[in-house]
Amino acid sequence: MDLAKKQAATQSQKLMVFVLTMALYGLATLFTELIPKFQVGIVEFSVEYFLFIPLTLAMLFDPLSAALGAATGELVFSEIMLGQFGGLGELEKFLTVTIGVYVAGRLVRDPKNRAMVGVAAIVGTGLQLAMGAVVDICKVQFAVEDFEAVAGLPESVFATEGFAFANDLLFSGILFCMLPTMYLVPKLYGKIEPLLGMRPRDGQTSLGGLSPKMILACVIGFVAAVASALIADGGLPLIDWEADWAESGAAFSIGMVVAAALAVAAILVIKIKARSGESVEQKA
Amino acid sequence: MTVNMKKKLSESILDKFSIDFLRSQVLKNAYGNDDTVIAKLDPRVLLAWYLVVGLVPWFVSDLWFLGACFLLVLVTTKLARVAGLVLALFAVGVFSQTGYLFIVALFFGGDVSTAAPLLVMTLKVATCSLASVTVFSGLDPDRLSNGLMWYGCPERLSFSISYAYRVLPMLMEEFQNILLSYRLRGNPPAHETWTGKVRYLVYQVKIIMQAFYPLMLNTAKRSRTTVEALEIKGYRYAAVDKQVKRMKLRTLQVTTNDFLFLALSLLWISLAMLGSALF
Amino acid sequence: MNAIEIQNLTFSYPAAEAPVLRDVSLTVEEGDFLAIVGNNGCGKSTLCKALNGLIPHFLVGDFSGSVKIFGEDTLGADVGALARKVGYVYQDFENQIVRPTALDDASYACLNYAMEDYEDRGREALALCGLQGREDDYVFQLSGGQTHLLALAGAVSLRPNILILDEPIAQLDPAHADRIYGVLRELNEKHGKTILVIEHHTEYIADYCKHVLLMRDGGAAWKLPTREALQRVDELQACNIFPPQVTTAAERLRRAGCLPASSPLPTTVEEGKAIFSALRYRGAGKVLPEKTEAAEPAVALRNVSVSYRSVKGEDRKVFRGLNLSIHKGEKVALIGSNGAGKSTMMRLMVGLLKPEAGDVQLLGQSILRRKTEDLSRTISLVYQNPEQMFIQDSVRADVAYAMRVRGEADWKARTEDLLRRFRLEEIADRDGRLLSGGQMRRASLAIGIALNPGILLLDEPTANLDIATRREILRTLTDLKGVTDTVLIATHDMQLVCEWAERIVVLCEGGVAADGPRDAVFGDRAVIERVGIRPPEIFTMGQALDGRALCYTVGEFERDFAEA
Repeated sequence: MDLAKKQAATQSQKLMVFVLTMALYGLATLFTELIPKFQVGIVEFSVEYFLFIPLTLAMLFDPLSAALGAATGELVFSEIMLGQFGGLGELEKFLTVTIGVYVAGRLVRDPKNRAMVGVAAIVGTGLQLAMGAVVDICKVQFAVEDFEAVAGLPESVFATEGFAFANDLLFSGILFCMLPTMYLVPKLYGKIEPLLGMRPRDGQTSLGGLSPKMILACVIGFVAAVASALIADGGLPLIDWEADWAESGAAFSIGMVVAAALAVAAILVIKIKARSGESVEQKA
Repeated sequence: MTVNMKKKLSESILDKFSIDFLRSQVLKNAYGNDDTVIAKLDPRVLLAWYLVVGLVPWFVSDLWFLGACFLLVLVTTKLARVAGLVLALFAVGVFSQTGYLFIVALFFGGDVSTAAPLLVMTLKVATCSLASVTVFSGLDPDRLSNGLMWYGCPERLSFSISYAYRVLPMLMEEFQNILLSYRLRGNPPAHETWTGKVRYLVYQVKIIMQAFYPLMLNTAKRSRTTVEALEIKGYRYAAVDKQVKRMKLRTLQVTTNDFLFLALSLLWISLAMLGSALF
Repeated sequence: MNAIEIQNLTFSYPAAEAPVLRDVSLTVEEGDFLAIVGNNGCGKSTLCKALNGLIPHFLVGDFSGSVKIFGEDTLGADVGALARKVGYVYQDFENQIVRPTALDDASYACLNYAMEDYEDRGREALALCGLQGREDDYVFQLSGGQTHLLALAGAVSLRPNILILDEPIAQLDPAHADRIYGVLRELNEKHGKTILVIEHHTEYIADYCKHVLLMRDGGAAWKLPTREALQRVDELQACNIFPPQVTTAAERLRRAGCLPASSPLPTTVEEGKAIFSALRYRGAGKVLPEKTEAAEPAVALRNVSVSYRSVKGEDRKVFRGLNLSIHKGEKVALIGSNGAGKSTMMRLMVGLLKPEAGDVQLLGQSILRRKTEDLSRTISLVYQNPEQMFIQDSVRADVAYAMRVRGEADWKARTEDLLRRFRLEEIADRDGRLLSGGQMRRASLAIGIALNPGILLLDEPTANLDIATRREILRTLTDLKGVTDTVLIATHDMQLVCEWAERIVVLCEGGVAADGPRDAVFGDRAVIERVGIRPPEIFTMGQALDGRALCYTVGEFERDFAEA
């Protein structure tokens, strides 16, 4: 009885953290879509994240719920609501954000220790960015046919991705992730927990640092992220569709056209019949 | 509408681009178009259609085929009556994904030979984006989440989708009011000169970030009530109850319109394939 | 059978020093309509959460004693089973609505508990709560009152026998408030539901409730039939609960010897008619206000039109060609039903909203081309929801913010001065959001006048406050004299209007429906009926006794009707 009660309580707390992070980070990513991006030469100064929001919450509350909430929030608010959903490729971002935020949240044992918070924030952000960069490079490599053959392309991809990573980490990472997190975590500590009916994180309630099991889970997640990104972009040249109909030629295509036209006609007939049937019923 | 949009976007975004406008666009996108042809289709059928139209172009480089797919999604997007903001985002998105790469490649000594594969890629990206715009903006959030659930997406995700649409107006209002507090009491740097403008932008970004401190606390208060109410309303029981899932999915129904939509899409694509084979 | 039986219930939240509930014992019969009254923080909400099992199943803490709902102990039942017996509507009810459309939200709980007829139940609940025809509306299309009814429908759909509502009418205008209570009465009388409300509007308690429970310091002081309970004027006032104005007036007249010592005290206007029937009106009647020389206008709206974008269809017009001038030194109350445009008008005046057409002038100058932040020394707005005024992490920092960023030379001294003036010194280092309702209000007022604005706008300064705190705010407002001379208040609180305002502006259907001193507005029955405002109860009482009587406060009533 007591155990079950406790479980329900912690589950509810996790749900609260999830809902809170999802709503806040989702709202923030809605804005990110709209903030202008500067470009100085090839270096893009994009105000990429409000990642400090889930980072902060992951350090104060249950890291996994905050991480999943953040990833879900981004998916729902900025991808689905704004119709920017990129198919399976979104799984990549989902997983990298989850891993980055989760790791950062686990690293912090004492939220009042600013140095610890800062280090954790930058590690989490760096991890997320590095995973993103690796995935991006793989993606372009597979997406453009004859990657190596296109003049200047490989260099440009490595250069831009490298730049993007360094710039994101040094610019967005420090300015928009590390500093705000360092400012917010100690400020919110002890204030936000009672609002959710929870006890602030202390020595007993912290989850402890990284464990081998957790690292393994993160690595598996990352591999899944790469795989999903590649599958999504159709990088694996498993199916060569072009050959399919180009060789069988016009005959195959005509067959398809006829079949489709027949289907359209048949459905239209069914529809008209159904409608007239309806009107008869209405008259009767 | 579109003229208005352009005017809005061309003005300094942070200054003139009101959250109010954003809110109304998002709401319009979510709920303002629930009486369109697209919105009345079965979400499962539409998702399956998306899977094909959004995936197949990646495997094909034939210009006829890609062009036809692009036109198809253009028509469906029009039918779905998508909000202007979403379309603007789509345009910016496509450009920044490949147009940007194209310029960089030229910079590294590429020539026109670089252009062809990138043009094909642009068409692919645009087609897939518009397909997702059609499906995700055209469907009302609830039908969308039911459709996703049918395909076995976790319950948590479909709950999140419909809850997100519910809280968004409240969250935005709250955020707007907090920002207004900063506007009323703050003292932003003068922004007549160019350096002043940069300082002003930095100030604005800083304010937006700082505004999350009160927003976090206020939202925390709200989410406590929400989660308690969810417990009372049996959310936790439903998440593990197969019967509930079955009842939710019962509202979905495939009609002749869905078949017609699929058949017409197929007819159009196969005509394009015929064209490609003949010429 | 008793609906609720509580025995020796004691509960404390984790990490709290003292228990919230102390040794509460209480029985509530089936079919009762019970009002729970008490100080802020006396454990009313906690008690209600113990009834639907959230305590102890969901909110853990030290729990002892027993709570039985129709004979079943809540310790042995789970929240799901209890939800079908006890429905709960929160004070911040908009947060308990989790689905986008009305029918969806009303039937959501039934769906979750796998009831096959969930949609029918949802429809039935909406109908019971007076929301027929709104089934497919999106929640954001509903008004505040309708949203509250929807939250109620969400609870009713599970067909519980007990319904609990936490301050159901705190933010509503009288018309919407009547509607909510009308629905509750029907649920109680026709459908046999047992209803518990946490309420401090004693006028509504007198009209609708059968019993009253007084909570004091976490314990149940007494439970009595409403009439008897409301006559215990002294005891209620000791707990900061103010009996209906009619009752208070009668009590004072009885003490003054104008009513026989054995006379019962009336609790409603109807009862008052009989009890006060012997009294004669001896007031002076309507005093026509002297036409004073109009001072220079402080704020002026000229032919202003405003509309809001709507998600579907036509934009909603809030104002059409509205004209209004507020003069220097005036104390103006802005009234009108929910959605009449009170908040919109205030936002126009501080430059947060630009009109589509027309002009807004501040001290004779148009503000349309001026920056909002430049206006803040002249005019200041205090929001309805004080939480949104707190943008720093302590009350002191919030009060200082506007002065600090403007580099005022003596901002530190002035901050301390303001903190002292509004009695905020002891809580100056706490976060504004974590304060009590009254403290939050005081802090928000201090923030509002930090820059010494000549004009102060207050949006619903007494919403969600118990009466004692409302009086305190009223005192603070009176203290403002000398700091800010022009004050405009938007409110539903007619007692505040009558005690404080010198001029009343009534908004209705996109324009000004009435404008003038209180006698001109409340004395005009046609206006009152057309715009749906309600004068204070004591005014209605006076009118019922004598058509000439225009008394707005208990004191005035006493003066006008006391035997010489």
